[in-house]
Amino acid sequence: MSEASAPSVGRPRVIAFCCNWCSYAGADLAGVSRLQMPPDFHVIRVMCSGRVEPEWVIKAFAAGIDGVLVLGCHIGDCHYIDGNHRTAKRFALLKEMLSCTGIHPDRLLVDWISASEGGKFQRAVTEFVERVRQLGPVDARARTPLAEAPR
Amino acid sequence: MSEVRVGVFVCHCGSNIGGVVDVPAVVEHARALPHVAHAEHNLYSCSEAGLSSLQRSIREHSLNRVVVAACTPRTHEPLFRTACQQAGLNRYLLEFVNIREHCSWIHSREPGKATEKAITLVKMGVVKACLLEPQEEAQSAVAPAALVIGGGVAGMSAALNLARQGFQVHLVEKQPRLGGRLLNLDRLGPTDEAAAAMIEPLIAAVVGHRSISVHMPASLAEIDGFVGNFRVRLGEGEGRSEVLVGTIIVATGAEVLQPEGLYGYGLFPNVVTHVELERRLKEDLPEIRSAVLINCVGSRIPDRPYCSRICCMQSLKNAMRLKARLPEARVAVLHRDQLTSGVQAERYYRSARQAGIRFFRYEPEQPPQVVGESRAEAVVVRDALRGRELSLPADLVVLATPLVPGPDNQALSRLLKVPLDESGFFLEAHAKLRPVEFATDGVYVCGTARWPADVAESVSQAYAAASKAAIPMRSGAVRAEAITAFSDRALCTGCGTCVVCCPFGAIARQPWEGGRLVAQVNTVQCKGCGCCVAACHSGAMQQRGTTDAQVLQMIEVCASV
Amino acid sequence: MTDQWVLVIGAGIAGIQASIDLAQMGFQVYLVERTPSIGGRMAQLDKTFPTNDCAICILAPKMIECAGHENVHLLTYSEVLHADGRLGEFRVRVRRKPRYVDEGRCTGCGECVAKCPRRVADEFNLGLNRRKAAYLPFPQAVPRVMTIDPETCLFLTKREKNRCRLCEEVCQAGAIDWDQREEVIELEVGAIVLATGFDPYDVSPLKEYGFGTIRNVITGLQYERLVSASGPTGGELLRPTDGKHPRRIAFIQCVGSRDVNYNAFCSSVCCMFATKEAMLAHEHDREVSSTIFYTDLRAGGKRFQEFIARAQAEYQVSYVRGRPGCIAEDPETGNPIVRYEETTARALREMEVDLAVLCQALVPRRGHQELAALLGIELDEHGFVRAPNLLGNPADTTVPGILACGYCIRPQDIPESVAQASGAAARVAELLAAPAELVP
Repeated sequence: MSEASAPSVGRPRVIAFCCNWCSYAGADLAGVSRLQMPPDFHVIRVMCSGRVEPEWVIKAFAAGIDGVLVLGCHIGDCHYIDGNHRTAKRFALLKEMLSCTGIHPDRLLVDWISASEGGKFQRAVTEFVERVRQLGPVDARARTPLAEAPR
Repeated sequence: MSEVRVGVFVCHCGSNIGGVVDVPAVVEHARALPHVAHAEHNLYSCSEAGLSSLQRSIREHSLNRVVVAACTPRTHEPLFRTACQQAGLNRYLLEFVNIREHCSWIHSREPGKATEKAITLVKMGVVKACLLEPQEEAQSAVAPAALVIGGGVAGMSAALNLARQGFQVHLVEKQPRLGGRLLNLDRLGPTDEAAAAMIEPLIAAVVGHRSISVHMPASLAEIDGFVGNFRVRLGEGEGRSEVLVGTIIVATGAEVLQPEGLYGYGLFPNVVTHVELERRLKEDLPEIRSAVLINCVGSRIPDRPYCSRICCMQSLKNAMRLKARLPEARVAVLHRDQLTSGVQAERYYRSARQAGIRFFRYEPEQPPQVVGESRAEAVVVRDALRGRELSLPADLVVLATPLVPGPDNQALSRLLKVPLDESGFFLEAHAKLRPVEFATDGVYVCGTARWPADVAESVSQAYAAASKAAIPMRSGAVRAEAITAFSDRALCTGCGTCVVCCPFGAIARQPWEGGRLVAQVNTVQCKGCGCCVAACHSGAMQQRGTTDAQVLQMIEVCASV
Repeated sequence: MTDQWVLVIGAGIAGIQASIDLAQMGFQVYLVERTPSIGGRMAQLDKTFPTNDCAICILAPKMIECAGHENVHLLTYSEVLHADGRLGEFRVRVRRKPRYVDEGRCTGCGECVAKCPRRVADEFNLGLNRRKAAYLPFPQAVPRVMTIDPETCLFLTKREKNRCRLCEEVCQAGAIDWDQREEVIELEVGAIVLATGFDPYDVSPLKEYGFGTIRNVITGLQYERLVSASGPTGGELLRPTDGKHPRRIAFIQCVGSRDVNYNAFCSSVCCMFATKEAMLAHEHDREVSSTIFYTDLRAGGKRFQEFIARAQAEYQVSYVRGRPGCIAEDPETGNPIVRYEETTARALREMEVDLAVLCQALVPRRGHQELAALLGIELDEHGFVRAPNLLGNPADTTVPGILACGYCIRPQDIPESVAQASGAAARVAELLAAPAELVP
């Protein structure tokens, strides 16, 4: 797959996986503090960032998602002890692989945001959405609708 | 399989959502989605009217899945789960969508885009809801014993309350004596009672109570488990011991900042902190003719912006003590604001002025200067209200410094998996309504470990933490949320990756058909992180409430925007 | 067994929290509330400092959890008449006032309210608008049952057969019951928890501020009602005289507080709530700037200093140290003119604003003195509950077995009240577990 131009209505499409205990709470705090952000991202809540599968991210790009954020607790503070260690390792590896597939590695960002870091959530999301906007839409020709997964 | 019938309930939340998001439009779009049998909006979904409407609609439209689009699930999901359950629907057939903290509040200048986003978020909720399955919660017993960490006034008060309620209490104190900071103090504000008279009977009661085991001096080596079943390993003397408790209360207190390098402290022998002064006041005070007390030393500054809440009262208390002991002495208090809220503190402040203690307000840009050669002799201050500089003679200078987080907070926060706030104090579950609880079940906090507090407040919080701890211990059981992992044994290859991956040791391989080893999750020990699911090579592991199918459908919705 | 029953008097956030804790601990709780709904003062607030959480959003789930708990027995629109006994065995008489609406039948549809022709000043909205004689105090009221005010209702004041009774005509549930009478019930409980909260002090005697004569001078609690979505203006900050959006707002602190002529104590929450209200004004309209006139800025709670700093940096809030001497009025525009000394500059100044908000003293509730007398507990000279052992047992009153929590003990904010409420519950639990041991 290579980066090519595609219509930019409704773009960029960004998904942010947020863990319940830290980054989702940080996102809530950003909301409570009324910190304004670009609306081009959608949060998917998971209990731990360690739940986020590399396969989800690959399929997301294939389906036409322009950027994926994986946000977890700071290293050492994971509610489940070391779930975020696995996140760090898995996605470091995935970023390497992405360069081989022609998807710009900047389209995937893993960051650590605590429950009290509303400001950091705002900055992280705002900067990421801008970066992804600069990169343009991920190649629409490669768009593969996700098949019905078995239950 | 019976038809999936989803009900969508969109909340205005007054104008919090409705003032930005076009809620009726969101409802219209929801109505047109596949499997949506009913959609409505409410001014306040969480009100009795909103919940009644939800329950009525479940029954009238034979709904078997519910999507609520409102505020954050972190506060309201349990309420709506219960409402569904009361209407006859399994509580896990609810999906809660956040269109307030994650939408209307953060895109309030772009109402059109916020509405589009809300529509998408609701659609994501609907597709997930269609794939939800009914779940039953696992129950686990709660040990009727509590661990209290810290033997100061807060820890002891909590321990005694729980012991009197009939629970076993393990009180852990790192120093070789109980009493904490109050052992260093002379009198306590605002009642002026002697600290010893307050703390010594408390220590005697704790030591004398048959249900309290005092582990002292002792340290915490390891804590594992979860609410109801915490296994705590202590280091005591040469050896180790282990206790099993149902709940844990953090009452580790705080430290007083030592004002090294500030206002001549460390340089001049007659510049002291309040703790040092109180030690002297307990014995004998040398004849002094003048004293200057400086407030906000090392607090309310850019590096430490918080106000330590109790120091103004402490300064007043000690100023009055000095004046009472040495009526001829000139006593002055240099302050920024006077924090004497309420009745008694304000009355105390008035009495102090009437007793002839002088108060001077200084601005942070022009702090006082302590001058002298080998000792402090005077304090030069710009009186902000008179607009001129004064030189106050000072035989004694007393510095009011803030309480700062204890040195063990970081380590303890890791041991217990509980967060610290930006200042380093323990961070409670909710600033307004859950002041002594952590987000983690079964662990509570009170006293100055949480935030600077005086004795009355610390004891009040200690009792509050005891109340929270008593609740699961009295009921004897807790129910575990049904968000646990489970393995499809037919798909499992028995590789054991999940076993290694689980931080809680909740997975083991068990023999199955034909003696083949397959993974088995202990549902009560499983905490629902889902790490094993992401690690599983064969797709055998799934997590209830966050399955691959559900997430992929949600991603697909975002991709179709 | 009597000692498994507890009476909680007052259903604001403190009474609600104490009831929830006690119920979850396994006690049976009678929760008596004088007004038709639980919720108290927090239900009147728009947002709460320092998080600016929507007050009713975090309160409503607690109200529902409380009322819905099988161990909590709500007695709203009721008052305590008499109490005697001791720890472990109190006997209390409670008067249940007649709503003239059958709680079992009322569906909360509101048709009677819509049709009722009589209006009276709305106490929930502090007189800023009017409510009907048949009413629900606020939209999220629990229980969601209408009440008919006997002092305003046309039929109840005259009882002439053909007078009005429109509510009865339109009520499809047949819930209007003119035969309801006051009922006195006897309760036997092991302990009592007092949580009666506060009233805003009437600041009309402070003539220098013009409350009651200058229409664009309002109180802090009235301001909360104006910015609340469920308030008289639907959440729009409109000033009383001409309904315009104020652009310049003055907040006067310590009105009736820290004043030996009225109340010598400090109400403790006003510095923070004025800051919050000024921030809300700016959120509603980014042209708004506010000035807070204070004496000592009291912000000692968690993240309170950061809140103040944010208000100054991002919400156009300024702080002037000086208690204004008086407020005059420009007769043409209705604008309040604040006359003050900026004490840190030693300058006498005047500031013309569009709206002036008096942060009034908050005092123990009306009726609290009589309640204390019949319970036999001591109050201090301001009417707050006296704690005989403030440091050791902060929830205790001078009568063993009667506890207190929240503002009725002393001025304090929501987190402190909530902690005290749970604390009172724990104290009840230990007293009822071993009364002889703890009470000589």
